[in-house]
Amino acid sequence: MSVILEVFRRSAFVLVSFGAMTPLFAEPQVATPDRQRAAANALRASCTGCHGEKRQRAELNIERALTERPLVRNLEVWENVYERVRSRQMPPEDEDPLEADERAAILRFIEEDMRKFDYSGIRDPGYENARRLTHHEYESSIRDLFGVDVDVIALLPSELKVTSGFDNSANSLFLHSTLVEKYLGVAERVVDLVFREGAGEAERRAIESVFGEAWDRIPEGGEAAERAFREILARVVPRAFRRPMRETEDDELVRVFRVATAAGLDFRSATKKGLEALLVSPYFLFRLEAAGKVGEDQPVEGFDLASRLSYFVWASMPDRELFESARRGDLREGESLDHEIERLLRDSRSRSLGDLFAAQWLGFEHVGSRVRPDPIDNPFMTDSLMLSMQAESARFFAHLVRENRPIEELVNARYTFLNEELAKHYRIDGVEGEELRRVDLETEQRGGIFGQASLLMVTSHPGRTSPVLRGTWILSEVLGTPSPPPPPNVSEFSREVERRDPLSEREKLELHRQKPACSGCHSRIDPLGFSLSNYDRFGRWRDRRGRAQVDARGRLPNWTEFHGPSGLKRVVVEQRLDDLTRQLARKMLAYALGRQLEYYDEPAVRKIVREVAKDGYRFHALVRGVANSYPFRYKRLRAEPDSESPSTSQENRG
Amino acid sequence: MSSPGKNKSRGGVSRRGMLRRITAGGLSALIPLPALEAFEARPASRGAEKASRGAEKASRGAEKAPVRLAYVYFPNGIATGSWHPKKVGEKGELLELNPWMSPLEPFRDDLIIPKNVWTPRGNGHAAGTATWLTGGGYDRKRIDAGGLSADQIAAREVGESTLLPSLQLSLVGQGHFSKDLTRNTLSWVGPRRPASREVEPRAVFDRMFRGGRSGKGTGAVERSVLDLVRDQSKRVAREVSESDKRKIDEYLDAIRSIEKRVAFAETKSRSVAAGGGLTDTLARPKPGIPSDHKAYVRLMLDLVALAFWSDATRVATFMLDHGQSNRYFNFIPDVQGTWHALSHYRDFSGNTEDDDGVTSWKSMEEKRGMFNEVTRWHHEQVAYFIDRLRSIPDANGGSLLDQSMVVYGSSLSDGHEHSARDLPLIVAGRGGKTIRTGRQLAFRKPESMSNLHLALLRRVGAKVREFGGSDTPMEELAG
Repeated sequence: MSVILEVFRRSAFVLVSFGAMTPLFAEPQVATPDRQRAAANALRASCTGCHGEKRQRAELNIERALTERPLVRNLEVWENVYERVRSRQMPPEDEDPLEADERAAILRFIEEDMRKFDYSGIRDPGYENARRLTHHEYESSIRDLFGVDVDVIALLPSELKVTSGFDNSANSLFLHSTLVEKYLGVAERVVDLVFREGAGEAERRAIESVFGEAWDRIPEGGEAAERAFREILARVVPRAFRRPMRETEDDELVRVFRVATAAGLDFRSATKKGLEALLVSPYFLFRLEAAGKVGEDQPVEGFDLASRLSYFVWASMPDRELFESARRGDLREGESLDHEIERLLRDSRSRSLGDLFAAQWLGFEHVGSRVRPDPIDNPFMTDSLMLSMQAESARFFAHLVRENRPIEELVNARYTFLNEELAKHYRIDGVEGEELRRVDLETEQRGGIFGQASLLMVTSHPGRTSPVLRGTWILSEVLGTPSPPPPPNVSEFSREVERRDPLSEREKLELHRQKPACSGCHSRIDPLGFSLSNYDRFGRWRDRRGRAQVDARGRLPNWTEFHGPSGLKRVVVEQRLDDLTRQLARKMLAYALGRQLEYYDEPAVRKIVREVAKDGYRFHALVRGVANSYPFRYKRLRAEPDSESPSTSQENRG
Repeated sequence: MSSPGKNKSRGGVSRRGMLRRITAGGLSALIPLPALEAFEARPASRGAEKASRGAEKASRGAEKAPVRLAYVYFPNGIATGSWHPKKVGEKGELLELNPWMSPLEPFRDDLIIPKNVWTPRGNGHAAGTATWLTGGGYDRKRIDAGGLSADQIAAREVGESTLLPSLQLSLVGQGHFSKDLTRNTLSWVGPRRPASREVEPRAVFDRMFRGGRSGKGTGAVERSVLDLVRDQSKRVAREVSESDKRKIDEYLDAIRSIEKRVAFAETKSRSVAAGGGLTDTLARPKPGIPSDHKAYVRLMLDLVALAFWSDATRVATFMLDHGQSNRYFNFIPDVQGTWHALSHYRDFSGNTEDDDGVTSWKSMEEKRGMFNEVTRWHHEQVAYFIDRLRSIPDANGGSLLDQSMVVYGSSLSDGHEHSARDLPLIVAGRGGKTIRTGRQLAFRKPESMSNLHLALLRRVGAKVREFGGSDTPMEELAG
């Protein structure tokens, strides 16, 4: 009982603070505490036995979700609860059912207090911890620092992913001794490659542009050598550390140089050792920002903001021009910041938004790795074809962003990027050679993400297409309106249905949807997926499946009916463009911040969407909106509420 | 192997011969291994040949012979019934295992098979994997496993005296979730900090037996680089916020462990110089991942055995795949379909979401049979590992297995039902005569796996009062 009171007390506190902060929205939802209390009582009576602190069936901890304020923090938990309770899957049959008024209380609470939550009083830019560079960022930073292309990703252990879906998520970028050892090895290789023997004239000039003339003179004597080394450092350190070199900072590196010289290394070899040290310095490996007061919002400015920008748009370090803007103090909200963003977008490095952001958001990064058809059964699926598929999607997205295309073209573009092999796969004539180039399309079979082989492949099972996978992908990833995960023991039902063999896939899934536990979600998911039935699991077009004509009728969750991919493109643009834009804004903001979004980011997302809409739904407004957003330009350091602190682990000790 | 008789050092088996045996199979070049002299010279190691066994025991007094702890994890659970022994005596004696467990039959007397153990707070493919060794609940959003994993607590407590505090090994995963952090992480250095893992046999070997990273450069220069990085990291730690400091600490920890290895390599070479000439040889694995899966698994298990024997570490974890592996085991006769698809053996339609769309089965019995074959295949590999440990004599008498505790099991019980009750578990080895093996340990009420962890941690010598919500160690192990 006291716990419930505590919930009540805290929620009252939250409401009061909202009122105080936002006089315009001071109208508090009067019924909220009662509704919450009723819902919390019902949930505790029926749910937390299995989904509480002691046991967490289905990884669900309602008890904890009830104590975390504000409750929208765990919106996905509540949506899940809602669907289970609504469809009467929960509580399960062998438990006491909810009373009618309890059930109603839970549903109303979620409908009124969670879904209609008033975010206007929320203002928190959030913060993630300093993080190391991702392997991609590390590679492109080295490329831009030294002007060499080294495939370092192949040399580093593969990165594991977590919930944000992007590999730049700060909370997944751990640093282990194994990785540090690899860094040490890679640094040596990189430096060896930069200064390899027998470099041509052009390469020598490139080296000189990075390291200055000092490299070319072979200085005589210890002091001259050290001076030359310092000259090199003065040029390289600010670039590598993405901020001006501090006084005496070069002394540390000179120490390495001295030890190397004392060990008998000549000037160049000792310099290389010093540069190796530079590449494993925490100032190079980590994205560090100025500290500040804990708990207060503070702007991210100057060099810190320059790095945020360049790692967002380029996945690499700032160039000299951006660095100079930062030094001049030009990076401020509004025009000068927008000017820099435009410049970064026009630069070819902005292709990282296709290669990394879109590849991870939409999932085409998996083609050729996780999604890899058996080469013996499918000899036409060559590595070069799969690379071309990925390249089509990446290039297409990068083009939309760079050229400031309308967001709807993501879905309904009448052009795409093809080379000969991929054009043949699509049965489009007149494209020759390996180079990808822009091709204007005559039909609506291709163009836009729904017609791209890479994405049609990653949304198929290894051996067949799946309307369920494709529908889920459209709803969850593209439109950002996911359904809760399926209930346990779903396959029991599939088995019953599967036995009825003469039925078509569509008929089977329709049977499946008759079951109440399934229908809630599958009546949303399946009809969307069916509209892409004209594509096989390799993304090839087909008019027939076996003896039957392909049935590509589709339907939106609001029951708007349409036909085939052209119909899907049309209804998404006509009816769901706002969802698509919101999802783009969410995903891009998460990527730009390097963290998963939290409830307090919702105001920023909404603001971006408003601005994009005002600008006619174009990509530059989206990127500008993200870069100008409150969480991107501000941060609030946390007072370390994490359980990570050593004291926790001490508790385990005797 | 030319003259095993000449080199006899302990227990009648030459070290050289023993090493050869440990690392037999699919290996290439033999490289000189100076390491072992140094291992034995270290004060905290057992110092095997310094004195006669009896005298040594007496002089050490309270100090106990080191106990080794290994966790071997497999994903996807089992088919109900396939883990229950066929015949159990009145006092729980294991009289006969079952056909699916046949590879373990010869080791019956070295095993405990617990019954009715579970993980109340986190189970399944994802949370179950991440919390198998923490006994906590899993918070997906924060990537929080609820506590340190048992192996890392052990590593903290006893890892100081060995070259590596612990080893975390894993296989290159197969299937959809191969890059998913949750399903790939057993070991947690902190509740929110996964331990590193190694998937390449050579990298594991090199961590144990090669000090420097590349053999190039001079020690002094390498040290100066590490010095620089350490100094800078310390400075950064002072400059940044409290929460950022945590990340920098990760880096400092990493640097420290590298320094330790480098220093270790130096003592090693000194002791080699003093000893004059090397006789021991050991096969260094080829680079890359063995294409033959069995060879890959065995090589990794060999490396754990080698680590335990050489006392490079006393704590290890090994994942036989990530928590929702979709690996194909078509190399086993008459087995088709992926591991995870097979684990949903009650659905043989071939059309569920976890099937590949190509494979189909005639009946539930057929699919279950294949699933059990995959489980048995893994028993074979673990049996191989147990055999290795049992065949290596220990300086304190008995075998290395007698000094070890190997927990082998999964975070799911029935793979189809996704149930967490009565997890498939086996404890092999006697933990330094503290575990009475050869028994089934049947609990009337569901027993938390945390109790097992706690009991094992105490045997390793970790001073732990409670673990994963438990303060009652599973003392039934002692019999």
